[in-house]
Amino acid sequence: MKVIEISNLTKFYGKNRGIEDVSLSVEEGEIFGFVGPNGAGKSTTIRLMLSLIYPTSGQALIFGKDCIKFGHEIRNDIGYLPSEVFYYDRMKVKDLLKYSASFYKGNHTKRIKELADIMELDLNRKIDELSYGNKKKVGIVQGLLHQPKLIMMDEPTSGLDPLMQHKFFDLILEENKKGATVFFSSHILGEVQKLCSRVAIIKEGNIIKTEKIKSLLNDTYKKVFIRTGKNAGDATKFPGVSNLEIIDGEIRFLYKGDINDLIGLISKNKINDVNIEEPTLEEIFMHYYQ
Amino acid sequence: MNIILRELRTSIKSLLIWCSVFAVLVTMYLTEFSAFANNDEMVDLLDSMPEGMMEAFRFNSFNMTTLTGFFGLLFTYFTLVLCIHAILKGNSIIAKEERDKTVEFTLVLPVRRSRIVFAKLIAAVVNCALILAFLYGFIIISIQKYLPEENFMKFFSLVILGTFITQMIFLSIGILLGCSIKQYKKSGYIGASIILITYIMTIFIDLNEKLDFLKYITPFKYFDTLLIKNELTLDWTYVIISLAVISVCLAIGFVTYRKRDLYI
Repeated sequence: MKVIEISNLTKFYGKNRGIEDVSLSVEEGEIFGFVGPNGAGKSTTIRLMLSLIYPTSGQALIFGKDCIKFGHEIRNDIGYLPSEVFYYDRMKVKDLLKYSASFYKGNHTKRIKELADIMELDLNRKIDELSYGNKKKVGIVQGLLHQPKLIMMDEPTSGLDPLMQHKFFDLILEENKKGATVFFSSHILGEVQKLCSRVAIIKEGNIIKTEKIKSLLNDTYKKVFIRTGKNAGDATKFPGVSNLEIIDGEIRFLYKGDINDLIGLISKNKINDVNIEEPTLEEIFMHYYQ
Repeated sequence: MNIILRELRTSIKSLLIWCSVFAVLVTMYLTEFSAFANNDEMVDLLDSMPEGMMEAFRFNSFNMTTLTGFFGLLFTYFTLVLCIHAILKGNSIIAKEERDKTVEFTLVLPVRRSRIVFAKLIAAVVNCALILAFLYGFIIISIQKYLPEENFMKFFSLVILGTFITQMIFLSIGILLGCSIKQYKKSGYIGASIILITYIMTIFIDLNEKLDFLKYITPFKYFDTLLIKNELTLDWTYVIISLAVISVCLAIGFVTYRKRDLYI
């Protein structure tokens, strides 16, 4: 089943572009990454799905239902973690979470305690006394306390220290194992690579690629480095080689093509050293960003 | 229900402040009244004032030495203050979610936007009613020693009822502003300007007969204490106009809030 199905979603703020003609779908149980530089339209897309704002054209279905018409029903099963967390300042964390929980069916007191323990959040503090990172933790607990079927996160890790980020990711993975679908917007590629199975890249309001992380990494250039005493002139004529640099018998180039052909070529020559590397996800994304 | 309770809980402090301010004001004015009460010399003194001044302060219409006259004059100002509170409350109870950036929490909860506005409306109505009820009770208790005249209770209760309706008009205008205007700062300014303009209209109506038609435009004139004093009833025309204005404001507010982008 498709949990999210967005078709031709477009949003203009007056004359300013929010997103343009965005289409994507997320299957149940997936962890879907939504990647792009600042201002690309990540938050706009999420806010459209939550019907905080309304599209200029196109539509978004969540759990197969129109996200505007059935917004309030759909939101029963959505946990949302915004990039910046703002709550009623004068409330205690405990009261705010209780208030939030009162809108969802069932009793969530136990779950609130569990989550707060994991995230090391003091429930008796007042919201306005909390640091940025601690507010974020309130957001995480608030977003997950009703065991949502769809978790939407908009750059969730900013403000969390590495240890907390780690705990947070474990929490998300655990929810995912229990069946939750995760829509994860970020510009930190390391975390996307760690968590997500599929990723959409958005740039200037347009989706430029939707791909499995694995195939993104596979179907791409290899970075090759060869040290040889001899002149390596014939490598230039080899198909699939680009960005060739030869300095003092050290050859560096990018290679795209059948790896066996490359190995074949290398084995015909006497070389001192060889190094074939995957490019990092960063390098792949930079390629799309530019 | 939980939205209503939360809104009421957050407004307890401001409610207490409003009530204590009114308590102090009423006590102060009643001290002043103790000098006026059944004091014929004061009547002579007031009568000797120039005609224009008498008219501007409406001293010729109200006998300041009776409770009815005194509150008939004074309560207009209380109504003004209560209405300022009402329009700002109506506006802010909606707009504060955007101002404090809590929309991304409140409006992601699994409730319809219209339900949120409705709950907030109820909370604001309760808020306005509580302040007015306190004022009513506090005045009634405080004036007992002045032995209110025969019709005073009826007169004063009608004034309170009229004030309540006027409050509701401004509250619904406030709600409309909060619901329909994306920039919360702008809606606050507009609310304050509406109060100012409609209040100034009442002064012009008193000064110039040609501007009499304005009495249909400014809600401050709908339940004029002078009319209530003379007729001992509320004018049904204005009750109906009031209900119409309230319904229209709320209807437009609800619809626009349901359809507009939230300011994040």
